Amino acid sequence: MASDSSPANFNNGPSSPGDSFSTPIANSSSPAHRRRRGRRQASIPSSAAATPSPNPSRFANSSSTPTPSRSTRRGRRPATSPTPAAAATPSSTDDFPPPSSDGGDDMEEATPTFVWGTNISVQDVKNAIQMFIKHFRETHELRNDVYGEGKYMRLIHRVLEIEGEWIDVDAHDVFNYDSDLYNKMVRYPLEVLAIFDIVLMDIVSLINPLFDKHVQVRIHNLKSSTSMRNLNPSDIEKMVSLKGMVIRCSSIIPEIREAVFRCIVCGYHSDPVVVDRGRITEPTTCSNQECLAKNSMTLVHNRCRFADKQIVRLQETPDEIPEGGTPHTVSLLMHDKLVDAGKPGDRVEITGIYRAMSVRVGPTQRTVKSLFKTYIDCLHIEKTDKSRMMSEDPMEVDKGSQRVEDDVQFDEDKVEELKELSKQPDIYERLTRSLAPNIWELDDIKKGLLCQLFGGNALKLPSGASFRGDINILLVGDPGTSKSQLLQYIHKLAPRGIYTSGRGSSAVGLTAYVTKDPETGETVLESGALVLSDRGICCIDEFDKMSDNARSMLHEVMEQQTVSIAKAGIIASLNARTSVLACANPSGSRYNPRLSVIDNIHLPPTLLSRFDLIYLVLDKADEQTDRRLAKHIVSLHFEDTQIAEQDVLDLATLTAYVSYARKNIHPQLSDEAAEELTRGYVEMRKRGNFPGSSKKVITATPRQIESLIRLSEALARIRFSEWVEMRDVTEAFRLLEVAMQQSATDHSTGTIDMDLITTGVSASERMRRENVLAATRNIIMEKIQLGGPSVRLLELLDELKKQSSGSEIHLHDLRNAVATLASEGFVVLQGDSVKRI
Amino acid sequence: MGGPPYDCMANPLGAVRLTFEKAIGSGSLTQTHPLAFDGKDWGALDLFRHFLFQESGLSQVPILNSKTMRWVQPNSLVRYRGMIQDMLGNEFYVGAYKDGNLWRTNKFMDVSQYPMGTPPDMCVWERRLLYCVPVPGQSSWTEPSCEMEPNRGMDWSSQNREKRRRMDDEDADPLDLREDGFPSPSPESRDSKTASSSSSMSTFQYVDKDNLPCLVKIYDSPESELKLNDVFEFIGVLTVDSELAVEKDDNDELSNSFYDDALVHLPPNKVPRLHCLVHRKLAVHDFLQSSPIMEPHLVKGIREALFRHLTTVLGNDEVAAHFMLLHLLSKVHARVDDVAVGKLSLNLMGLSKESATVFGTRLSQAFKSLLPFTHFIPLTLEYLNTASLAPKKDYQENRLIPGVLQLPEGSHIMVDETQLESGSLSSIGIENTKSLKNLMEFQKVEYDFQYYKMEMAADVQLLIFSEGKSNIVPADVVVPFQPSSLESFEIPVAEALEAWRWYLATVRLLPHSIGSEMQKVVEDDLVAARQADRSLGSRDFSRWLTMARLVSSSFGETCLSLEHWQMVKELERLRRERLK
Repeated sequence: MASDSSPANFNNGPSSPGDSFSTPIANSSSPAHRRRRGRRQASIPSSAAATPSPNPSRFANSSSTPTPSRSTRRGRRPATSPTPAAAATPSSTDDFPPPSSDGGDDMEEATPTFVWGTNISVQDVKNAIQMFIKHFRETHELRNDVYGEGKYMRLIHRVLEIEGEWIDVDAHDVFNYDSDLYNKMVRYPLEVLAIFDIVLMDIVSLINPLFDKHVQVRIHNLKSSTSMRNLNPSDIEKMVSLKGMVIRCSSIIPEIREAVFRCIVCGYHSDPVVVDRGRITEPTTCSNQECLAKNSMTLVHNRCRFADKQIVRLQETPDEIPEGGTPHTVSLLMHDKLVDAGKPGDRVEITGIYRAMSVRVGPTQRTVKSLFKTYIDCLHIEKTDKSRMMSEDPMEVDKGSQRVEDDVQFDEDKVEELKELSKQPDIYERLTRSLAPNIWELDDIKKGLLCQLFGGNALKLPSGASFRGDINILLVGDPGTSKSQLLQYIHKLAPRGIYTSGRGSSAVGLTAYVTKDPETGETVLESGALVLSDRGICCIDEFDKMSDNARSMLHEVMEQQTVSIAKAGIIASLNARTSVLACANPSGSRYNPRLSVIDNIHLPPTLLSRFDLIYLVLDKADEQTDRRLAKHIVSLHFEDTQIAEQDVLDLATLTAYVSYARKNIHPQLSDEAAEELTRGYVEMRKRGNFPGSSKKVITATPRQIESLIRLSEALARIRFSEWVEMRDVTEAFRLLEVAMQQSATDHSTGTIDMDLITTGVSASERMRRENVLAATRNIIMEKIQLGGPSVRLLELLDELKKQSSGSEIHLHDLRNAVATLASEGFVVLQGDSVKRI
Repeated sequence: MGGPPYDCMANPLGAVRLTFEKAIGSGSLTQTHPLAFDGKDWGALDLFRHFLFQESGLSQVPILNSKTMRWVQPNSLVRYRGMIQDMLGNEFYVGAYKDGNLWRTNKFMDVSQYPMGTPPDMCVWERRLLYCVPVPGQSSWTEPSCEMEPNRGMDWSSQNREKRRRMDDEDADPLDLREDGFPSPSPESRDSKTASSSSSMSTFQYVDKDNLPCLVKIYDSPESELKLNDVFEFIGVLTVDSELAVEKDDNDELSNSFYDDALVHLPPNKVPRLHCLVHRKLAVHDFLQSSPIMEPHLVKGIREALFRHLTTVLGNDEVAAHFMLLHLLSKVHARVDDVAVGKLSLNLMGLSKESATVFGTRLSQAFKSLLPFTHFIPLTLEYLNTASLAPKKDYQENRLIPGVLQLPEGSHIMVDETQLESGSLSSIGIENTKSLKNLMEFQKVEYDFQYYKMEMAADVQLLIFSEGKSNIVPADVVVPFQPSSLESFEIPVAEALEAWRWYLATVRLLPHSIGSEMQKVVEDDLVAARQADRSLGSRDFSRWLTMARLVSSSFGETCLSLEHWQMVKELERLRRERLK
């Protein structure tokens, strides 16, 4: 409590109401009264101690923190004051004996001392603390060696060895050992901590009487932490623990604790003058008996003693702010070692004593305003930083092979929760459902996007070759198929993501530019997107409208992950380790199934092949879907009830899940998985020249196997698994095939190559499909006249079902069959209707 | 209580004190400990509520603004209308303390009048500090006509002023003050003191003549009741502590560094303090001079008249006028995920720079007379690169620096994009366009807290003029504007304006529902429309339904009818035709 801001503690308050008075609050503060006397005395000897006397233990200590009363260190430092009070008062009239190992005890011998305004006996507390320090053992220690030293004894030894200045005491330990002591400590921190320090010093001096540093107790990890918003008058002078973000640090304030004056007449140096009530009284006369000059004393700066002090402002973290509120702030007072422990922007959890001081109206006025300024006397500060990662850098991933170990850590509870989640058997499906729950179906696309979010492992070989871990996805499709919404959603989920429209995106430009279309007068914002989304996801809408120039940049980005900019003869290579999620409209406004994908989107195959997954999002003119959409929108507008979405993770959890996985899970291929990959790849290669295949198809390239590895790694990450397993590989193949089914094309006919799918299935399945094909051909021969009116696919399906009783036939199968027929030039497929030609 | 023995207007603190003493039972032997009143009212508020609302004292309470500030007296009852611009956290104060044997209270005061005792003899309570400003873009009609005769005010003010003088006086004998605590209308004149106090009054220097901010201190009300950007009327005690200004000179380093919060930057001679007794949230209705009671059939009449007015203003473009009317009635009804349901921003395109100026002026004039809070943003490169649209936290001053987009619910913004030229945007410009776009699409504004951003929900109507379709601020409805005449419109009569304001304010609050049959029709229509035109997406459907709701409420109906649904489809058809 040697708080300087509350100097009044030590002096006899009533005389100076105008002084900043830190103890306005009922009883808790008042121990000052009792202690005041002791302290006052203490200050006298301490000044003596300041003239270094090679005295053992406490004297020495008191000299290191010499000014019990006025020291900068506030309450937390209570040790300073009481210690000398208890021990360093040989000269005082009190019955404190000269420093001895048990000196502290006598304080209570005079009369049983109580913490002011309570029935808490100082002696009891002291004993309790002694017991705690000496005998506390962690549970696992209890079992093993009962005779070894307790946790805190060991800590003390260590502190002595490294000449530390404090020991951290976990409040949970205190609670577990002696909950009564814990409660007292939280309610009367000033008093209890003072005693704590005394006990500690006693122990220290027993172990090493020559140890001349002052060791303090730092309590942390309280049982309950308060929200800044809920601090109220009843918390004053209590120990509190808060989470928040440091927003401002003052410069370090050297606070004078002890001043030395020199007489300008005779050169006599005064005894050190201790700060009293925040002030140093300059001696008016020289105390040299031979001089006695008046007003001759001047301060000798380099003989004064200063301590570090800093005022830090802490602000609520966004998650604690209620709707419609602004963040609260609170001032913290840091001392000595705590100075500069937190920098602006750090998220910290602090433990300290909530204090209030009254506001003086003016330096000269005696009236006290009825206001109090509050601050927290900081005892302990701990960086938490977990949420910062989420808000700022959830996409912060592997940095090549040398992964920088961040000190960033998730809250243990949260991690547990996430791990629990990851153990659910259906986590993959569940995450898929949680991704853009407002967009229905498109499940396979969502699965692909999920893989993109989690990403594979980037690899950098010693040779310098690097393999990206980012998965690039292209969505091609008809307008109005919520591609853009998907993009927006992913963009939101990945805060480092950049959303840009291909139209007018200069891709590399570092600045943004407004352009005006000379014809329509439409204004467009051009921005450089890729560089900005380093380590994120770059979402490019209207990819097809991107200028060739900009697009060519993407080649480099998507494989080498850098952007080169040539300006004024200098070529700069900037990192752009980004996943690209692009969506493109077909070159005609609708996808033309008769043209190849490449023709449809006007993208060069070289660029196209850099996408791991290419999805065709075709708008199937399905009345059911439309009706669902209509219903959804009507209910959105007319029913106040929220559309119930059960079993879906909220965005925050999803983000946490993704970032945790990206951060902490780095799956490796198991042998089994590697085997399967090789096998699958070889099979894919073979398909290209499958004997039954009459047409050329895109065969698998080494790029595909890289994609497969990335996808399976991502899938393992989804499960929080360190090993890529067989099933991951299988699913990766499936995803790739689903994407290929829709996008792998046959250039000879320009249609979607259904053969590819046929060859991808088992022999029996192939047989079945051939049967369907034959049946369809027959039906069409029967039903449709050459050049006659077209027939809808659904009608054909009914017919087909009638004929082939027994086996299930899906629209999907039919569509395949018809497409094959169309490629043979037998029929024309227009949207949903079939016409014979 | 019949005939209150105290003057709530001139000496509200006296009333507070009396009720406190009564509640605490001073004089009697058993005093209630004031702890019982922590966070509670002891009856003072009832007294004021009774006075304000039952005895209709409200209209007599002067409204605090830069004009009235000249003659309103400190420590008297005033009301202040404004938007909560920033919250400065809580403040601890000595709520009650023992003076001798008597408990006294400091509630609703800044400075204690008696020397305060030692800790056990005082109770610390807390109050919230809100920094309020006049609502940005407030139209002149919302300001109540100043019916307070300053003369009448002077009568009691001179006497009061002198009281204040005495309170300020440090040397004042406590006894004197105590006397003063009671409402003693003693018209003794101490001219010299009055004169000196009036000089102290002149120390008010407002940065902005028309913009009087106010620091409101709120007692005992739940946090959720007052939210950022809400428009409130605060009725309470005005204090202007000149003494507080001295704080600045206090060179005690420690206290200074604790102080370097907002209060230092809000010296009381620039920002008056209001100790709030009663607060109430203001709706547009509260700004209307009279609230005409309208019959449903009258609503149609008003709608027709307003529509005609808008048509004239828009150069006889009826389609645009229809959309304009719907636009003015739009309001965010619900938020589902990211979708703000009910907003309808309007983009009038096809305007050149010149025509935008002409119609811009006409429209903004019209809006000013119809809507309570209006804004105009000339979207130029320079503006984008320099303006601060989103509010930003300044940690030096510990204040939220207001941005153009920090607006209360129901504000209207007109953006003129025709003036935008090609050119580079600075990083500020990018932020600004992003903010505008965010507001447009999600009705949310990101407040910049430097270390993180916080999204605040907004409800702002946005109208954009542009040459082509605006891509920088993509609106819900794009209507090619086709004015046919430029005839000047007559200024509508006051009653008509009043009726229209009432109409706009009332109709947009109407509830809305849909019958199951109608729902079926709508769904079928949507499905059919989508079958016919695959490019229609959820956004279009959403717009149609918003329009349907607005059309039907514009006729004062609460249930969607087929007729109105047809009207929406027709409007949409007309609009699409123009787009071709």
